[in-house]
Amino acid sequence: MDLSTTNFIGDLVREYSPYSWVASIVNGVIAIVAIMAVGVGPSPMLIWWERKVAAFTQARLGPMRVGPWGLLQTVCDVIKLLFKELITPHGADKLLFFLAPALPLTGSFLVLAVIPWDHNLQVANPGMGVPFIIAVSSLGILGTLLAGWSSNNKFSLLGALRCGAQMISYEVSLSLIMLFVVLMSGSADVREIVLSQQGNVTDWWIIKAPFLGIAAFVMYMISATAELNRGPFDMSEAEQELTAGFHTEYSSTAFAMFFLAEYINMVATSALASVFFLGGFLPFAFPDFGFAPIVGVVASINGALAILPGFFWMAGKILFLITLFMFFRWTYPRPRVDQLMSLEWKFLLPANLILLGLGAVFIAFGLILP
Amino acid sequence: MIADIGFYIVAFAMLVSAIWAVTAKNILHSALALIGSFFGTAILYLMLSAEFIAVAQVLVYIGGVVIFVIFIILLTSRLGDKAEIAPAMRKILAFALCSAMLGTFLHALDRAGYLVNTKTATAASDFASMRNIGLRFLDPGANGFLVPFEIISLLLLITVIGAIVIARKEGE
Repeated sequence: MDLSTTNFIGDLVREYSPYSWVASIVNGVIAIVAIMAVGVGPSPMLIWWERKVAAFTQARLGPMRVGPWGLLQTVCDVIKLLFKELITPHGADKLLFFLAPALPLTGSFLVLAVIPWDHNLQVANPGMGVPFIIAVSSLGILGTLLAGWSSNNKFSLLGALRCGAQMISYEVSLSLIMLFVVLMSGSADVREIVLSQQGNVTDWWIIKAPFLGIAAFVMYMISATAELNRGPFDMSEAEQELTAGFHTEYSSTAFAMFFLAEYINMVATSALASVFFLGGFLPFAFPDFGFAPIVGVVASINGALAILPGFFWMAGKILFLITLFMFFRWTYPRPRVDQLMSLEWKFLLPANLILLGLGAVFIAFGLILP
Repeated sequence: MIADIGFYIVAFAMLVSAIWAVTAKNILHSALALIGSFFGTAILYLMLSAEFIAVAQVLVYIGGVVIFVIFIILLTSRLGDKAEIAPAMRKILAFALCSAMLGTFLHALDRAGYLVNTKTATAASDFASMRNIGLRFLDPGANGFLVPFEIISLLLLITVIGAIVIARKEGE
């Protein structure tokens, strides 16, 4: 049976209901609930994890008081945040002020919708998945700019301008790196990109494209850190200079939405990195290099690893990449705004264009690992 | 039938946001209304099953053009700035020009027989897929668009060089 075309819940509904639109609505609602659960569910845990990583980096213990190892600390924080007063600053543009926090969240959820979590676990699979991802990620920039402008606060406006300029610039690099992966795998379909990496570790694009893969991955991580506005590239909310940047005036649930969007964005970006470079939902498998004495052992180890379901591998890779992002934040000092801009326009952009050209050459001369 | 109703809903929303874009007192609200209008166009492309063009519409117009428009508004104006009211003479002139343009378009469509189109056509489901569009663009044959495609890339190159020349400071 071809599992890729079946839709269990859809068929179940169709059996009991004579109307086709009932199935569409039920499917849609389940898809939306699933995306929100995947997006919102892990965020409190990630906030706790971020605090723990920060604490261990600085030889502290981090949250320890509420619950075992401080596990319930985030729950308390969320409750506190939700019960705060929602303040609208004097002279703010009310329509845009309350529209702005919804936009980054919408963009992140739309990216989550096209990510393949397992062989048959994906909400939507548009044929042009990669252009779709690039298109919807601009909603985040829009939300940031509108938030800064509508707050009627010069620090917010400055923060929004910095943040917007940074995100627009680094999106160019991110898009070029995504194009590189599309060029390598020969498809813009996100699921096809994962399936083009079947086999063992050496078939993942980070290794399969010799040297280029690792270079593209490193540049992807740098650009993604800047695109996410995370430290060390968090000049847009540099406390010393701009109070809290574009979300200075936001409180309570509106602030919570920005905060949530940052973490969901981190999940989405890590998921994309894992899809593009680390084989997505495919299990980790050791290569045997055709070396006769170890072929049997390697095969049995790989068989044991493949028992774990795909979404487990996907989640593991995402958690690994997120932890990497957190290490960046607590390891490097913050550069200046102009240094960040010259990194993008004078180094990353030319490097990515060369990478794309070299990628085409590698494909044309068959230099990709078999 | 449902598709027809959907078309009229989307078309109405597009019209409303287009009118809002030109009449809004607040310049940023205009930009926002423009997004609504562009988004409606993308939905229309989706309804015509031209998915790549819909994505490109969102990518280029909402992700590119409108973001830059908003960026420029942010750099030049502040919340609470008074909206500039155009003089009556300019309004009349603009109305006359726009009406003339609309008339020309309608006339051209009428001549070509597209104004009231009763024909229905179905194309292959992948006629506007990314692969097909790419192949048509790079096809040197009579069916392809290789020369226009290359000319567009030349135009973009000229634009980039022009931007660098304008942005460069004197004496550098």
